[in-house]
Amino acid sequence: MNTVLYLKELKRNRKNVLIWSAIVIGFTFMILAIFPSFADMGEQITLMMSKLPEEIALALGVDEATWSSIIGFYGTYYGIYITLLMGIFTASTGATILGKEERDGTAEFLLTRPISRARIVDSKYAALVTLLVLIYAVQTICAVVGMTVFGTEVDWEVFVAMHVHGFVLISFFTGIAALLGSFVSPKVNFMGPVVGLIFGSYFLDAISKATDAVSFLGYVTPYHYLKLRAEGGALSVNWLASVALLGVAAGALYAARSRYLKRDITG
Amino acid sequence: MSAIQITGITKFYGTHRGVEDVHLSVERGEVFGFIGPNGAGKSTTIRTLLGLLTPDRGSAEILGCDVVSQGVAARAKVGYLPSEIAYYPEMTSRELLEYHAGLYGIKDSGARMEELATYFELDLDRLIDDLSYGNKKKCAIIQAVLHDPEVLILDEPTGGLDPLMQHRFFDLLETLNAKGTTVFFSSHVLSEIQRMCSRAAVIRDGKIIAVEDISTLLAKQMKKVRIVLEKGANLVLPNGVQNPTSSGDKHTFDYVGSVQDLMSWLNEQSLLDVTISEPDLESIFMNYYQR
Repeated sequence: MNTVLYLKELKRNRKNVLIWSAIVIGFTFMILAIFPSFADMGEQITLMMSKLPEEIALALGVDEATWSSIIGFYGTYYGIYITLLMGIFTASTGATILGKEERDGTAEFLLTRPISRARIVDSKYAALVTLLVLIYAVQTICAVVGMTVFGTEVDWEVFVAMHVHGFVLISFFTGIAALLGSFVSPKVNFMGPVVGLIFGSYFLDAISKATDAVSFLGYVTPYHYLKLRAEGGALSVNWLASVALLGVAAGALYAARSRYLKRDITG
Repeated sequence: MSAIQITGITKFYGTHRGVEDVHLSVERGEVFGFIGPNGAGKSTTIRTLLGLLTPDRGSAEILGCDVVSQGVAARAKVGYLPSEIAYYPEMTSRELLEYHAGLYGIKDSGARMEELATYFELDLDRLIDDLSYGNKKKCAIIQAVLHDPEVLILDEPTGGLDPLMQHRFFDLLETLNAKGTTVFFSSHVLSEIQRMCSRAAVIRDGKIIAVEDISTLLAKQMKKVRIVLEKGANLVLPNGVQNPTSSGDKHTFDYVGSVQDLMSWLNEQSLLDVTISEPDLESIFMNYYQR
């Protein structure tokens, strides 16, 4: 890794990570802050939600636990929105972190310095991992603080499992997006495909739960293996799936790296 | 050991030819010109030297370092001035040059940076995005020479520079060359090649078609001939005439061949006036290009 390049990459992404962190922090606190109001209306909401068809409730990830505990309430939104927001930031950064220099024409400057491409890619990947860990850690810390402030009884075991799975999910999407980025012209705007990838995976899993007829669809999405909400009040880390999906993410990054090392920079 | 040694480099972009079987040798301390029309393969050759492209066949070395297998060592000895400037718009020139120095592992580049910025009248603290193209070019020149490279690769180096800055740039090149820096100078502006270079290669359709001393190129037996004949005189042009034009009894043409044959032919004409001049490099280049 080259320290100068690594620090430059972090500096270059400073503004984006600040904006996305602010969005995620704000959303986390907002969810946790409104929970006490929902908790007060728990019985009414449970009654109202019970009138929803079961398939729809499953697809939306809403059940009785959503309204009865802060971890249930948080889990519903963590799964849909927070991992999605963090994933969009890290995956879009992953998709463009190598190609951006080509798109902006600065690859000619960077790649004609006396640094191997492998070190350039590794430095950029190190910056990517730092950004991912940073936004994840900031969100997790805020969630812990929010839970403590707004919750009365928090099942920390569920919280830990939820967050381990969240980390694996955003890492997985980041790796896949980086691999996609190595196949597509650097001029392509990646925000759309990245949102499609993450949203698509989430809703595929949600649809697969709605009816047995399409339950097989769930197997192709990482959400199927890494639950973000407690079921029956319990959730534990799926270590096998976590390690496997982190392995897929690492493999995808390695494949993208290999492609970039051989790439011709035509200007 | 040559400063630059290119041996049979071939590069295709799919089915489109970039360069084919290019051989070149640039000696240490030489200022070597590289001439060719757009799309001839100049940029492909330079990009291969810099490791931006991997050749399909052949190899290239810079000061004995293979540009593919020892690319880092090769690039450490090179300063590169690209034709198109694309830098990080959010940086100032100073930040860019410090970044550049950092990537070369240079810790104390400040004094040299200031010296060059003063020489080229560049405000180092303005954002690159706010600089005119000419000032971006000055920044590019400074980054190319800041680390005292042994080999300078220049691609259309003077585009965007005003005449004063061009003059300073050439003076700087002469100073660096006097200290032993090898210069590989790719340009469309043939008067620059003529001024700076001792030898030049002409590339056309991806192939090197000539490598000559500039003095040899200029003396390549091609002459510009202008004659005025007596009224009504019959004109039969000799062999070796190119680009003939006539206006009444005034005739102009380029002549390639023996000077003695030309003089014999002129002696047989009913001449009122004759002018024989040396062609400029552009005419010679066009002569090569049109072959």
